[in-house]
Parts: sequence; C-alpha cells; structure tokens
Amino acid sequence: MDLIRALGAELWKMFAGDLFLTVATLATVLGLALLLTTRAAPAADAPFVLAGVIMAVFTAAVGLSTSKEIKRKSDR
Amino acid sequence: MVDLATAGPIAAASFVASTVEVVEAFTIVLAVSVVRGPRPAILGTSAALAVLALAVAIFGPLIAQIPIHGLQLTVGVLLLLFGLGWLRKATLRAGGVLPLHDESAAFAHETQALRAQASERAADWIAGMAAFKAVLLEGTEVVFIVLAVGARPGLLAPSAAGAAAACALVLGFGMLVRTPLAKVPENSLKFLVGAMLSGFGVFWTAEGLKAPFPLGDWAIAVLVGLFLACAMAMAMGLRRLLARLPAWT
Repeated sequence: MDLIRALGAELWKMFAGDLFLTVATLATVLGLALLLTTRAAPAADAPFVLAGVIMAVFTAAVGLSTSKEIKRKSDR
Repeated sequence: MVDLATAGPIAAASFVASTVEVVEAFTIVLAVSVVRGPRPAILGTSAALAVLALAVAIFGPLIAQIPIHGLQLTVGVLLLLFGLGWLRKATLRAGGVLPLHDESAAFAHETQALRAQASERAADWIAGMAAFKAVLLEGTEVVFIVLAVGARPGLLAPSAAGAAAACALVLGFGMLVRTPLAKVPENSLKFLVGAMLSGFGVFWTAEGLKAPFPLGDWAIAVLVGLFLACAMAMAMGLRRLLARLPAWT
C-alpha cells in the first residue's frame, strides 16, 4: 500500500508537480486541437502557435514560482 | 533502417535523461548497501528491475496497437508536462530561487533513516524495500523517457540503448568509487534534459495534432535551442533580481 502510494506520488510529481503549468499546458493543447478541428486556425500556423504559447506558459510558471518563493521568504 | 543522424540525438537524449534518474536511484541503493550490506541492496534492486521488465513486456506490445497520431499526441503532452516541470525546477535552481539538489545530503539522510531502524529485526527487509522502491520509482521514469523519446517506428532501440548506456556508466562508475555521485552536475543535466524533453514534447504534440513543423526533424534542434535559451535567460534574470532583493540576501 505504501509502495503504491509512493508510486502514485512520484507519477503525480512527474506530470503535475506544478498545477498552473499542468492546467495551462493541457488547456493550450486542447484549445489548439479544437481550433484545428473546427478549422478556425490554419494547420500551417498551428505548430508555431503551440511553441509560442508553451514558451509563454513556461515563462509565466517560472515567474509565479519565483514570486511565491519571494513572498514565502519575506513572510518569515 | 534508421540512420545515425536520426538515431544519435535520440540515444543521446535518452542517455542524458536516464543518467539523472539512475544517479538518484544509485544514491539510495548505495546507502542501503553501506548500512545493511550488499545483500538487501542487490535483492531490492533485482526485484525492482524484474517488476519493470515485466511491466515493459506486458505494456510494450500494447503501445504498437495505438494509432501513430494518437500515440504521438499522448506522448507529446506527457513529455511537455514532464519536460517543462524539470526545466522550471532547473531554472529556479540555476537562478538561486531554490537550493541545488545535493546527492551527498540525500545519501546522508537515507543512511541516517536506515541506521535508525538498524536495531529492528526487520531492518534487512526495510533496507531491501528502500532499494526496491528507489529503483522502481526512478526506473519507471527511465522507462517513460525511453518510450517517449523513441515514440516513432525504429527509434525505440536507440532510445533503449541510450538508457542502457546510462545505467552501465553510472553503475560501473558508482561501484568503482563507492561514494554518492555528488560531482555529477545534476542541475545542469536537468536543465539540458528539461529543454530536450520540452522540445520533443512540442514536436510530438504538433505531429499528433497533424500540424507538423515545416523543418521536419530539424525542428527538434531549433525547439530545444529555444527552450534552453529562454530558460538560461530567465535563470540569469532571476539571479540579478534576487541580488537586488534585501529580503533574499
């Protein structure tokens, strides 16, 4: 039981360690898939949109974590 | 037949990513071996490797049944979640926001925890379970990396070869020096691996969405370079920012 819990925690840490990063990444992919399915976005632009939005999500995630750490340290 | 120009980067990506995981598992196995002797360490490690081999033997053939675009999309998204997580943490560590991962401290912590149980009758069992758990957990990540990086026909073998080389190198070197591999620049490796996995993740996700990059496989190198440049710029920016914060210094 302890092992299964540890494995679950490790898998959670692997793929969803940062909730914002996980949700924003999944939302980006789902949104793009929707735009492509409804032909609201041209397929030729989609990979560049994906790369750009993912970079922005990553930058925002680092910024959020940094501000959280700074706040935590200054609260002490 | 896959040419070397395609197989080489796949094997290299798998090798570097697996090295980080194997170093972490080795630290725990070494701690078990130092405190309780080699027997529980070897038994725990062997049992975990057997479980991993069984899981690959059962689930491996199922992967071939998944349509290629579905597989690329699934693997791409998982790689993105995994890679971006690593890159975020490595950037925060390189920027000084989080402390660096210390294998010597992890070894000391594990050794102390095992010594605390040394008087108990079940100490060997507990030590063996610690080795089993470490190898199984880190091994699961290695298996995922191998499958994810080699998620195209013909690329699973070079990906597995890269991971096998990482295991052989870390275990061989570790057995030779018999100390935690604290000198392995783990954060630099995580930085590189995070950028690699994120680059592969964007590439596979785009392929899975049937919207491939025009450059073909070369797009992976461009994406990895972009992630690396972005993360390095952020780490440098964070260092400058923290140096100006009185609460931080």
